[in-house]
Amino acid sequence: MTIELTVDEAAQVRLWHRVSQFLFREARLLDEWRLIEWYYEMLTDDIRYSVPATDIRGETADALGLIDDDAARLRQRVEQLLSGEVWCENPRSRTNRMISNVEILTDRGTHLDVAANVIVYRFGHGRSDVYVGKCRFELVVDGESFRVRRRVVVLDHETLFEHGKLSIIL
Amino acid sequence: MTIELRRPVGDPIVVDDLERLSFRVDRRAYTDDDLAALEMTRIFGRCWLYVGHESEVPGPGSYVARDVGGRPVVMARGSDGVIRVFANSCTHRGALICSQPAGQARSFRCPYHDWTFSNRGDLVGVPIPDGYGPGFQKADFGLARHRSDSYRGFVFVTFDPEQPRNLTEYLAGATEYLDLIDDQSEVGMEVIQGAQLHGARANWKLMMENSVDIYHFRALHKRYVGYMESLGSVPPRRRGGFGCALGLGHGANELPPAAARPLAYWTPMFGAEVRPRIEATAARFVDRFGAERAERITGTNRAVLIFPNLMIIDAIAITIRKIDPIGAGQMAITSVALAPRDEDPDIRELRKSHYLTFLGPAGFATPDDIEIVESCQRGYLNRTVRYSDLSRGMNKEVPETTDELPAREFWRQWDRLMHGYDGHLEIAHRAELQGAQPR
Repeated sequence: MTIELTVDEAAQVRLWHRVSQFLFREARLLDEWRLIEWYYEMLTDDIRYSVPATDIRGETADALGLIDDDAARLRQRVEQLLSGEVWCENPRSRTNRMISNVEILTDRGTHLDVAANVIVYRFGHGRSDVYVGKCRFELVVDGESFRVRRRVVVLDHETLFEHGKLSIIL
Repeated sequence: MTIELRRPVGDPIVVDDLERLSFRVDRRAYTDDDLAALEMTRIFGRCWLYVGHESEVPGPGSYVARDVGGRPVVMARGSDGVIRVFANSCTHRGALICSQPAGQARSFRCPYHDWTFSNRGDLVGVPIPDGYGPGFQKADFGLARHRSDSYRGFVFVTFDPEQPRNLTEYLAGATEYLDLIDDQSEVGMEVIQGAQLHGARANWKLMMENSVDIYHFRALHKRYVGYMESLGSVPPRRRGGFGCALGLGHGANELPPAAARPLAYWTPMFGAEVRPRIEATAARFVDRFGAERAERITGTNRAVLIFPNLMIIDAIAITIRKIDPIGAGQMAITSVALAPRDEDPDIRELRKSHYLTFLGPAGFATPDDIEIVESCQRGYLNRTVRYSDLSRGMNKEVPETTDELPAREFWRQWDRLMHGYDGHLEIAHRAELQGAQPR
């Protein structure tokens, strides 16, 4: 039996597929340490990347977080990670990101608000860590693809006691 | 319970040799489980320990619940405005009476049998009271209140009823450094919401050493130094800096800022827009305190170690870092930012931004500190090299910031307490000069 999609549904499936493919590619570039490509091809010039504190979880606007990078500091983060001078990422972590529950929350034509869940497995320096979080992306439509303008990862952990640090890009 | 050191006398852990100018610590101090257990009684069971800042319980009924020295406590401001620290354990059968990390409460109700305590610690409600005889008095079952006190907004507790020193005496020379921090606002300092809760798989003392170690800065933190240079940091407007011992295990480093300070030390990396505001603040400090002390408050970075487990680092932002041992090979780290309550919003944003650049589990420096102390802990597994060396600066009258005097002060107090000195005696290793006297 074939299920007929309405025109609207078909458009939604196509959009969801394109968004998912975009997020999967992002995860792959980060896992493969192709950070320069990620930075220049997948983000806007006014990217903001944030990871709120685990106690406040982004619920208070003026709270301090763990990461709140503008484009310049994120570029520094990328360059440092690739430079070999980041002692805790030399040798580089091996990572594996699982992106799921991709949901387009709003479609405003030129940009989309997208939610997704992420699990990042990280191995390095003799230890293994798992980061679990909920992502919010603001994607800007860029031709047939997108660019990320806002990237927030709200960690579900109560503390990073086990991890100690967050030296990779989530 | 008494735990005795399982090592022969004459096999010291801290080898303090003032003739050879050599200071060594046996690496068992970082790895031995018996020593870690002994620390919990002889150090964390006796010292004054940092609980939190008064701004975290701003109004009547506000509270925080956290672990201090391995013990769950509640710091609450009662409806009467008084800050008290209670054992977070019901006097009936022991459950936590408060499982929220922070909040606002008129009373704390134990979920087990609904015993209810006021925010002043009094037992005010016991369901089905006819189960008790006439000898049962609610007054006998109030929350256990710990001896607590505060100095310039920093609240400490001691679990030792016989701790001979009051808090000010205990803080010794560190009070001067807390003054230099609390003097940064006329209306008071506040903890910014959002704690960085992390840890390391290493002995807690490694992080204390690391926090007063400036020797490692240019080696381990190349990337942070590089980033600050890319922002246009400029050389400090004066030279100098020193490390000092403040007595009773406390120590500090003081040095001119390599970058900027959001309070009142402007350099181009902060941008031209905020310059007039920051310089106006600097001028107000000169009016209030005179040029010399104003420069010390506003134009000087400092890191102060308060024995045993509190670090306050006052540089491009102020961080309060509380380090808690979890056995010999693991620690929990709680870091928060402290700032003037009346700070200009733009300058507050600068402060937060620069705090994150350096500090915390995802900053450009702290992750490397975490990794390196874990690396030391792994290195100790080899056991062939028995001692770590902390001798730098023993050959100088005024040790520099790249020397290790504050760490030696920490270890000397650790050694005294672990040998059971109860603090009644004024014991001091006066043979080594205590570093620069504050100007």
